[in-house]
Parts: sequence; structure tokens; C-alpha cells
Amino acid sequence: MGELFRTFVNVLAVVAVPLMFLAFLGWGAVKKVKVYEVCVEGAKEGFNVAVRIIPYLVAMLVAIGIFRASGALELLTTILAPVTSLINMPPEVLPMAFLRPLSGSGSLGFMTELMKVHGPDSLIGIMVSTMYGSSETTFYVLAVYFGTVSIKDTRHAVPTGLIADIAGMLAAVWIVNLLFR
Amino acid sequence: MLNYIWLSLVIIGILVAAGNDAWDEVTNPYRNGQELLCRFEITKSPSSLRDSWEGDLVIPAAEFSAFYGRPAAADIKQPVTVIRVNGSPTTMQLPAGDGTPSLWKEMMKSSTVKDRLTGAVRQWTLSEDGSTARIAIAIESIRFVKMKAVTQAALEYATIAVNIAIGLIGIMAIWLGVMRVAEEAGMLRILTRWLTPVTRRLFPDVPPDHPAVGAIIMNIAANMLGLSNAATPMGLKAMEELNKLNPKAGTASNAMVTFLAINTGGLILIPATAIAVRAAAGSTNPGIIIGTSIVGAGAATIAGVVASKLLQRLPRYKKALEV
Repeated sequence: MGELFRTFVNVLAVVAVPLMFLAFLGWGAVKKVKVYEVCVEGAKEGFNVAVRIIPYLVAMLVAIGIFRASGALELLTTILAPVTSLINMPPEVLPMAFLRPLSGSGSLGFMTELMKVHGPDSLIGIMVSTMYGSSETTFYVLAVYFGTVSIKDTRHAVPTGLIADIAGMLAAVWIVNLLFR
Repeated sequence: MLNYIWLSLVIIGILVAAGNDAWDEVTNPYRNGQELLCRFEITKSPSSLRDSWEGDLVIPAAEFSAFYGRPAAADIKQPVTVIRVNGSPTTMQLPAGDGTPSLWKEMMKSSTVKDRLTGAVRQWTLSEDGSTARIAIAIESIRFVKMKAVTQAALEYATIAVNIAIGLIGIMAIWLGVMRVAEEAGMLRILTRWLTPVTRRLFPDVPPDHPAVGAIIMNIAANMLGLSNAATPMGLKAMEELNKLNPKAGTASNAMVTFLAINTGGLILIPATAIAVRAAAGSTNPGIIIGTSIVGAGAATIAGVVASKLLQRLPRYKKALEV
């Protein structure tokens, strides 16, 4: 059953993009849309969008870069390590909880490193990879998505994103402890 | 809120870096100004053409760890060049190599010449056959490691940010183009009709047949399949469409925050990256985390959506929307 699901999703992921192109452009042709001209017209926007997000992305990534380079993450981990034992979370995986919302490449590197040290099939290895798969790089998404439409007042987006991250991390720790401990 | 978080990242980062460097000044973990005795195995001696010795520094693990006060994994064999001035050996250089201990590699990140440690040769006793020497070296002072790292990170990440944005141009262009065709052909409207019962509840402010809904659905579908290259352009398209309905430009609408909550939840059917890393690390069952990841990401998504719906009712966030 699990294997079937995996094969199904993998096949779907492979054929999705070509199928979408086929369906959208084909349907457009049926509906007598001037596909090439309209496509080019839409594509023109791509450049503007990419340029528009640059200042937002620069400001966000520089702050994250400074924070990561300073060693603040290690300090935070040391301070919070006693708390994690309360929820059966090995202190080794704690940096993942902070790194995941901040940096995609950083959390990927951390996951790889931790698996090299503890082995991918250890409790720590399974937990850290589950945590990685349980969330997105919240601050990157916020910067890019709000940057596109020049939103400066993000209202409750940050607390919402952080609540989602915390819930994801706690759920990951809980389910891995339940199944693999 | 983002203002405070952003400011705290910068300020905490700089303060912690300063604190770390101050602590280093006190504890001197790099042993600035101290002499390390080691054996120099000479492979090339000075000649009329060359004014230097070349060879390897050999330091037993126990001596190295006693000097730096931290455990060393193995005996060290580090390439070295000793430079002769007026006939006597005076300075030396340690280039980064496979045998370089991790502590020295760390020090090389903030040394005067990148990937290289320089230092003075304080004592020099050549063996009789000239193949080895006992030398005492004093490596250059390593200071302000974190401050230098912070400076470098700030500049580096600014460049990375621009590269990411530029890298998006191509995929953005092609997807926005194809999406425009789909829109003109009325394809998105067909797609949205099926999911109207769901989208109407999630995004009550958005008309069910609005193009934003189509882009949102496609973005979520692409994310779940792990097609991040397709998901981002569709997500940005969705944001543009949502912005057309936004009563107050420059301020996030309720629908935008809910949409982002779904997005940052990161619900994905197959966490391909994590599985690939697990497989590369030699896991016997890399896919074992599929189920647990769906639970984790599902919890994140549900918590995010609920939080966005509850928080949007708070007076301060309601007030921010008033025109």
C-alpha cells in the first residue's frame, strides 16, 4: 500500500509538468487563443516579478546570514537544551527547529551532517529528516511572496508562520517518538 | 512583527558575535602568541634557486590536543613551507590540505591570507642528516573570528539573494506565460469549480471563480508533488491576483496570510530532498519518513490556517486593514 502510494506520487510528479503544458496550451488552442502571443505576453511579467523581489530577499537573507554566522544559533541551542528533554526531543536535533524556518540550504546541510554522525536510521536521523520534511523555509517564503506584491505591513503573517512551524516541529517529534522510540 | 524579527536577527547576531569574540580574547582558544613544538620532515631543502624548505609538520594527536586543549582525532601531517631570510629560517606557511586539522581549517577562514596560516619560526634545530628538524612555530594571531564571519556573511548573502531572484526569471517567465494561456482559455475556472466548497471556506473574501483561486490551487498541487520550480511562479501569480482584491495596497490581506500559512506548512506527499539525503547517507529504508513527514507538515498546515483565521480577528490586525 505504502509502496503503491509512493510509485503513484512519483509517476505523477514526473508527468505533471509536461501534462500541464499539454493541457493548458492544447485547451488554449481549442479555445482559439493565440497561444504563442499570449504566452509571451504573460512571460514578460516574469522579469518584473524577479526584479521586484530583490530588495525584500536581500534584506531578509542578509539578516539571516548575520544571525547564522554569529554563532547565536549555538547559544540558543545551549540555553534551550534542558527544555527539549521535557518533550523527548534529543538535544542534537534542536538546531533544526530554529534553522528550518530561516534557511533552506542551512537546514539541508545540518540534516546531512547529523545523519552522517548518528546514522540515517537512528532515532535522531529519522527525527531530523522528518522535521526537515515537516516545514518550509518560512522567512524566505514570506520575503519572496510579499515582495512580489510590495507588501510591507505583513500583519499576522509572521506569528501565523511561526505557530505553523512550532506545530510542525512538535508533531514531528511526537510522531517519531511514538513510532520509532 | 516582521520589523522586530528582522531587527532582532541583525542585532542579536552582531551582539552575539561581539560576545563570542570577547570570550575568545579571554580564553585564547587559538593560542595566539604561543609556541608549538613540532617535528618537521623535510622533503626539499633550499638551493640556489629556492629560498625555502618544504615538507610536513608531524604532530602526535596527544601533543596537539594538549596544546589546544581540545581532542584531536588523529596524528597530524600538515604540509608546510619554511622561508629563509638571510640564511636562517624565519617564517612559515601552512596551506589548507587534506591533512589539515579542523581547528586550523577554522582558523584559516579568518587568517590574513585565506586558506593559509602564516607564522614565525622561533626555534630551529636541524638533524645531522638534514632530513628532519625540531622547530617551534608561533602561528599568526587569530582574532575577531565571528565579527569577520558576520561581515562576510552579510556581503555573501546579499549576492546570494540577487542570484536567487535572477535565477527565478526563467521559470517565472515560462510558467506565467503558460498560466496566461490557461487563463484566457478559461481553464483555471474549470479547475476552481471542483474545489469551490473548500476554497470558499478558506478564502471567504475571494470570489470562488476569481483567477486567484485557480493559481492558489495549482500552487498547492505543485507543492504537494514537490515541484517547487513550478510552485513558486504559481504562488507569486496567486499573490498578484490576491493583491488585485486587496483593499489596502502595501498591507497583507486576510486571504494572503491564510494562503501563506498553507504554503509555509510545506505539505508535501513525498519529501524528496530528505529521502535523497537519507539514501545517500546509507539508510536501509529512506522512505520511512514519508508518513511521519505528512503528519508533521499536516499539523503545521492545520495550525497555520487556524492561527491565521483566529489572529485576523485581533483588533490590532483588523485596524491595520482599515483604509
